[in-house]
Amino acid sequence: MTTRRESSDKVPETTNKKLPRRDFFKKSGTAVASAAILAGSLSACNFQAKNKSKTKKRLAMVIDLRKCYGCHSCSIACKSEFNVPLGVWRSWVKTIDKGKYPKVKRSFLPRLCNHCENPPCVSVCPTQASHRDDEKGLVDIHEERCIGCKMCIVACPYDARFSHPTKKVANKCDFCIHRVEKGVVPSCVNTCPSNARIFGDLNDPDSEVRKLVDTNKVQVLKPELDTEPSVFYIDLDEDAVGGHITT
Amino acid sequence: MIDIYYNVFHKVPWDYWIPVYFYFTGLSAGSFVLSSLFTVFGLKQFKSLAFTAGISAVILLLFAPIFLVLDLGQPFRFWKVLVPWYFNPYSVVSWGSWLLTIYPIALLIYCWYMFKENEKMIKIFGISTLPLAIGVHGYTGFVFGLIQARVYWYSAVMPGYFLTSAVLSGIGLVIIITLIKDKLLGGSTLSELFTPLKRMMIVIIMLDLFWIFCWKITLLSGTDEARASALISLNDSLYIFGVLLFGMLIPFFLLIYPKTRNSVRWLVVSSVLVLIGVFLMRYTFVFTGFEIPLS
Repeated sequence: MTTRRESSDKVPETTNKKLPRRDFFKKSGTAVASAAILAGSLSACNFQAKNKSKTKKRLAMVIDLRKCYGCHSCSIACKSEFNVPLGVWRSWVKTIDKGKYPKVKRSFLPRLCNHCENPPCVSVCPTQASHRDDEKGLVDIHEERCIGCKMCIVACPYDARFSHPTKKVANKCDFCIHRVEKGVVPSCVNTCPSNARIFGDLNDPDSEVRKLVDTNKVQVLKPELDTEPSVFYIDLDEDAVGGHITT
Repeated sequence: MIDIYYNVFHKVPWDYWIPVYFYFTGLSAGSFVLSSLFTVFGLKQFKSLAFTAGISAVILLLFAPIFLVLDLGQPFRFWKVLVPWYFNPYSVVSWGSWLLTIYPIALLIYCWYMFKENEKMIKIFGISTLPLAIGVHGYTGFVFGLIQARVYWYSAVMPGYFLTSAVLSGIGLVIIITLIKDKLLGGSTLSELFTPLKRMMIVIIMLDLFWIFCWKITLLSGTDEARASALISLNDSLYIFGVLLFGMLIPFFLLIYPKTRNSVRWLVVSSVLVLIGVFLMRYTFVFTGFEIPLS
């Protein structure tokens, strides 16, 4: 510390000399240019980190699988809400059977976009059409900017995305943001007869999802990929996750 | 015992244009590497090849982006990848789009100076185009190698494997073009370059086999899904016969077997086999990656 102070004391003597004007312009010019380059590269590097620190909202869904009995109402509500064409689904219920008759158990896994905090679909998008919207708190698509390269569909580890057959752009669940913005819950949550789906802002400490996530043993899909999903399951059956291939 | 009673699978998003596109950029980058042997690395014996290989690199690369645009859902919006403020530094495709724009321009200038026989400018543009050529095909390796969701692709060997197979297909193509040129214009370029081209082909096939070995071994000792994806490819007759046997092992054998290794004819046969093999490699690679269900 002392040595540093000594050296800083000496500095004014050397810099007291007047700078010639031309030198001054040259130096300030290079300083401005290098600062601009530095700022540019830093902002590019901190792109994701910045977004994370700014997070205001994080829309999330808790699906209580103890209550789900596989009626597929959520799939139908979603289909009619968005007029989703045949063959593609924004929301569906995966169903598996475990064991052999008569000892069989059926498990349900309602599926939708996980609205990850660290979404692989967003990082591969070449036009920033797929983006994480921190104002609204979800992963969304600027449809007019999407060129339909399908890179996000390839990169999504949950098969939640698809190429819209008529719009010819990427499409997926958007947590019914048009409804949420008007203060009502998503269509699938609204229609669920057993109240297995609970929706809210995870960053709001008073929200029901926050309380459920904090007080229950919750699971997410494929946590090993570190995508940080915003869809949480209570009482998830591991066997219902991912594809099953016998080798 | 687990039975999937109901599930939704979305259809494979990419069409056949995608492997065709990878094939063409690979051919272009491979041809350019051959052309640069003389213009950048100064190997005099390859002088007669430099111009032909350069021109074939340009023509192939003018076609390649067309296939990419054809696969887009919104082909008329392709220019949006080049809007600077839409640029996504995390997206390999973003970088690749810029490479695909700059590389053909650099290549055209390079060929222009080759046409003008301006040695100094050829060298300058050769040196600056070489990293672009490597980038334009190397990035396709990263497109796959960075997708964590698809176990079959998620491997560090991808950029290297893509590059060596690109050079392999490039050599095959240049051999065939030189043969046609010799037949039409009269000349003996191919028989003069017979030994170096043959040796390059042997070395690169060995390198390719090494990549495949590393990659398949890691898959087989990986997770359930990784092992399954490796077994799917090893049970696929198109992969076993098309890519490995006819695409690599038979050409390799023809190039080293004493009775066939000294004939230009068998070199041409190997080149044709290698060209087909590399295309099938791109094809099976892309579509086997989609075989493992994600949901």
